[in-house]
Order: sequence, then structure tokens, then C-alpha cells
Amino acid sequence: MAEKTAAFSAETSMDGETAVIDLRGEINSQAAAAFDAAYSEVARFGAQSILLNFAEVDYINSTGIALIVGLLARARAAHLPIAAAGLSDHYREIFTITRLSDFMEIQ
Amino acid sequence: MSEQPDSRESAWAKPVDKLRVSGTPTGAINLNVEGKQMVGPLQGFGQLWQKTYRVALSGSSASPQEVVSLLKAKLPELMPSDSRFYPSITGVKPGEVIIINATVPGVPGTISTGVMILYADDESFTVMTPEGHPESGFNTFSASSEDGVTVAQIQSLARANDPIYEFGFRFMGGSSQQEKIWHHVLTQLAAQFKTAANVTMQKTCVDNRLQWSQAKNVWHNAMIRSTLNLPVRTARRVFRGGRGIDAS
Repeated sequence: MAEKTAAFSAETSMDGETAVIDLRGEINSQAAAAFDAAYSEVARFGAQSILLNFAEVDYINSTGIALIVGLLARARAAHLPIAAAGLSDHYREIFTITRLSDFMEIQ
Repeated sequence: MSEQPDSRESAWAKPVDKLRVSGTPTGAINLNVEGKQMVGPLQGFGQLWQKTYRVALSGSSASPQEVVSLLKAKLPELMPSDSRFYPSITGVKPGEVIIINATVPGVPGTISTGVMILYADDESFTVMTPEGHPESGFNTFSASSEDGVTVAQIQSLARANDPIYEFGFRFMGGSSQQEKIWHHVLTQLAAQFKTAANVTMQKTCVDNRLQWSQAKNVWHNAMIRSTLNLPVRTARRVFRGGRGIDAS
């Protein structure tokens, strides 16, 4: 199921017990509703873990990082491990600076 | 993700293991910043809160870019007198450090800490806190156009850094004092554009758990360290008579 904003979409599917969220476009303030909807889908599927796929993401600004933090915080509160895949070298650095990588496996 | 660099990537700070302060601005007390690691919303101790403060600049023709430009240039002037910001000489640029000197009722002397500019573009900038700061997280200052009206916004996503700060925020009025600071900043900002300030705030508890594994953060507590350092600073002031005090 795809949730869309103007330049962003988040599509959730299941791979075994892992919910895979395929992110596309730019992650900024416009992405908030799609992020919320995607996390609701994860809860509905009863997933045991989450994989965020950034392979099709063009850009993330600081508001976008805050959205990812919010999703990660909610997943941690629900004891759902989270991993990230498809990050460019630049955003691997950003995930390190922002300390997201402390709580998220970067594949 | 594309490996082609996006020109906007320069809006982000470069990775740093530990903070470095390149010169102490005149009048600032530089403590509890140098050598500290950055900590985000996931590293602190207390409940994680998202607080969003907004003001619509109705009647002003200022663009979001102009509003953010003014915020970058005048943030120290917009702050209340008990919470002073000292940007570096290069201003609000990614990777730069802003030293913060604040006074808190019941705490002797000045509490010194700081923030690093994590991100800065034409329509927003974000600061991130170091170890020892009262909060662990981000503050994003931004502006956008909504139905033809420019709206300025400050959004914090943060939790208290250690148990002492959490107690202060919950039971000693720290939370409301902090909310007053950002109300003040947006009120002053609206005054710069000669518009009435109707500041709104929305707050959401994103994670209500306490992270007891982070209770050890109290070792870096800037309030305690600043207070313990007060006699040293006083003695230096007496014997050297300096204005800028680099106590790192």
C-alpha cells in the first residue's frame, strides 16, 4: 500500500516477519503524513522488525531526519528492531552524526 | 540512493567525533562544549517530546527565506536576557558551534553549554545538543508559506539528558521555562516584521519511557559542572580581569 505526499511516497510490504518500507523522493516536512501512515501499516501487519529502504530517496533534510527519529523512537518503544538499507555514503555519515546509527543497523 | 552528490548536501555538518570551539566570543563563558560528543533525541534519559511553536506573520510580505535569514542573523538578539546565544564569528553555518550561557532560578551563576549547527539551508536550520546540555536532541528553526502567509516555526525533538534535568523539567518548572523561551523568540521575531504575535504550541510525547541506561549522562551535566566551576571563574576574573572567559 502506498502513501503519498507531493514528492514523497512510502510503500510498506512484508518480507517474512519484516515490514519493508520502500521510501521514494525527498524526505522533508511534506513526508510526515506518509511516514505516519507507513508506520500504522507496520503495526497492522504485526511485523517483528522493520527495514527502511532508502534506495530511491533523493534527499533528506533535517526535518526528514527528525521524522526518521520519531519513527525509530516509536519502533523502539514497541520493541521492534529497525534497519536501514540503500543509504548513500553521505547519508551514512548523517546517520552517524545524528547518532541514528546507534540504534539502527545500517545494511 | 544516488551516489551523485547533491549540491544541497553541503547544508549538513561534516562528521565530528567531538566538538571543537574555534574561539570564544567576547563575553561568553565557554564551558561544557569543547570535547563533548553530540547527542540526539535517542541518546538522552527522559521522555521524548516533540514541541512545535508557530507564529503566522500575517500582513508581512517577508518570504520564508527572508525570515530564516533574519533568524540566523539576529537569533542572539531574539533570545530572552536569561538565555544568551553566542554564535561563532562565521554565524549560523553547518558545523559551527553556538555557545549558550543561561541563568536558572535557584542555580548560582551562569550555566554554560552550547549547540552545534547540524543543518542549515535557506528555509531552515537545525541545532543539535552536546553531552551535558539539559536536552538531548534537535531544535529546528524554519519558515514556510501557507495560504500566502509566511509562518515561522521552531520545533524541538528532545528529551532530558539525565535524571536531574528530567526532574527539573517535570517538577521544577524547567519545561514551562523552556517553552517561554521559544514563545519569546517567536514574539520578538514577529515584532521584527511588525506583525502581531499569536504564538501557538503543540506538544506530543513521542516516547514516554525513561532510558535508565542513559542515567550515567549525569556525569556531563552542564548545570553541575558550571556551578562547580564558578569559584574558578570568579578567581580568574579577579586575577586576570578578562572579558571573554575560556574555561575549557
